[in-house]
Amino acid sequence: MTPDELKDAVAGKLGDKMSLLDTGRMVPMFEISAANLLTVAESLRDDAALKFDYFCNLGAVDKTERFEAVYSVASIVHKHRLDFKVILDHDHPEIDSVQEIWPAANWYEREMWELFGINIRNHHNLTRFLLPDDWDQGNPMRRDWDAPDFEKLPEL
Amino acid sequence: MPDLRTEEFVVNMGPHHPSTHGVCRLILTMDGEKVLKIVPVVGYLHRSLEKICENRTYPQCIPILDRFEYVTAMSCNYVFSLAAERLAEIEVPERAEYLRVIMLELNRIASHLIFYGVTAMDIGALTPFLYGLREREMIMDLFEMTCGQRLTFNYIRIGGVAKDIPAEFIPYCRKTVSVIREKLNDYEGLLNENPIWLVRNKNIGVLPPDVGIAYGVSGPSLRASGVDYDLRRDDPYSIYDRFDWKVATRSNGDCYDRYLVRLDEIKQSVRIIEQALDGLPEGPVKAKVSPNFKPPEGETYARVENSRGELGVYIQSDGTKKPYRVKTRGGSFNQLQVLPVIGTGGLIADLVAIFASLDIILPEVDR
Repeated sequence: MTPDELKDAVAGKLGDKMSLLDTGRMVPMFEISAANLLTVAESLRDDAALKFDYFCNLGAVDKTERFEAVYSVASIVHKHRLDFKVILDHDHPEIDSVQEIWPAANWYEREMWELFGINIRNHHNLTRFLLPDDWDQGNPMRRDWDAPDFEKLPEL
Repeated sequence: MPDLRTEEFVVNMGPHHPSTHGVCRLILTMDGEKVLKIVPVVGYLHRSLEKICENRTYPQCIPILDRFEYVTAMSCNYVFSLAAERLAEIEVPERAEYLRVIMLELNRIASHLIFYGVTAMDIGALTPFLYGLREREMIMDLFEMTCGQRLTFNYIRIGGVAKDIPAEFIPYCRKTVSVIREKLNDYEGLLNENPIWLVRNKNIGVLPPDVGIAYGVSGPSLRASGVDYDLRRDDPYSIYDRFDWKVATRSNGDCYDRYLVRLDEIKQSVRIIEQALDGLPEGPVKAKVSPNFKPPEGETYARVENSRGELGVYIQSDGTKKPYRVKTRGGSFNQLQVLPVIGTGGLIADLVAIFASLDIILPEVDR
């Protein structure tokens, strides 16, 4: 499917739960509410025409007043790709784990939990991942976090 | 003889273990030589590249990304440039696209030659390492004459490449690929039918295709399980559709097939490079991109086929000259995640073979 056909197909099947954003380039970008994440993810994987069985990437973005969790999934059979994001509250960020649907998400979610402090519901293994075992300085990928020895580069 | 008292015990493999290709610690629960449980512990090489990129302008990010996956740094340069070009909708000149393909494929061959040597060395054969590195040296010479570097190239830039190739590049490159094509027979002769190699690799660490897809395994490791999926063809980028080449696949998904797929890929890369050298047009090598490069607001996830699988970069731009967020994804991250699934229940010696055959390197996992 071309990106435009894919947009229509997704809107036709899941239009009530996914809304198209205009920020995506090359590949359509949708937004999903946190409550719908698991049902939408399951339909994306199991629908015969979509069949997003391959999990590419998951990364969080700290927008200072909210968090975004950006998922990229692909289909091995149909060879198309889709991005979607979930907006999370900044004070109590919490999201469901999709590792039952895409086992590959496991480590991506651990990383998101550790570096951004986003709680992952129903994740089986939220333990220290990339940071040192004795780390006690918060969540370093948040925008308001500065390393103790941080020095800004001179502006060009 | 009285009954022997047996019990399970825990062994730490690594962090500093020669066969973990970087610094990776595997906590193994063992019953004699049998592995009952594998817990990978990563993060020893975490340099926070993504955070560093947030404080750099787009062109300044490219040398940072070199350190992300240093064995194929060209791909890292390329995938970041590709994402930035898609955000800003930059057209890349013809000649630059050809040069990029030549560099990417040369780098893929160099990486697979490292794989060839190092995997054999992990299993106990030293000779292939000397063979593989000898030909890789010619590729390193080519990179050195092009961009002055042998490891962190910083050659591919947003909008093209840093500078044109020198005059002696093309004859030397033709010589290199013909030497590699010829020496492939030696490589195959050394290992393909070697009885020790067969015993150590055949039917070891079988990765079923559905498990591979579910865990996000990509690249040669997935194609060895019979999944015909190559991003160069299936998520097209650059000019790969102009060349005549095949996607290499195998069907058993064991260590031996993962090794064969990589040798097949070297042959295909040689074909692509020869065609690209024949078709190399004249012209500029870089589009006009301001040093104050500011892509419009937007976000994109670009991915390319690296020697270790899918290499991806997600960039979110807020319209300033620094990326708001850069997220990198490397093939090794998922390959290491699947290691406990396919390595459990085997022998500890086989675990070394499986780790090597998945071609995991740790800087890509830890970032």
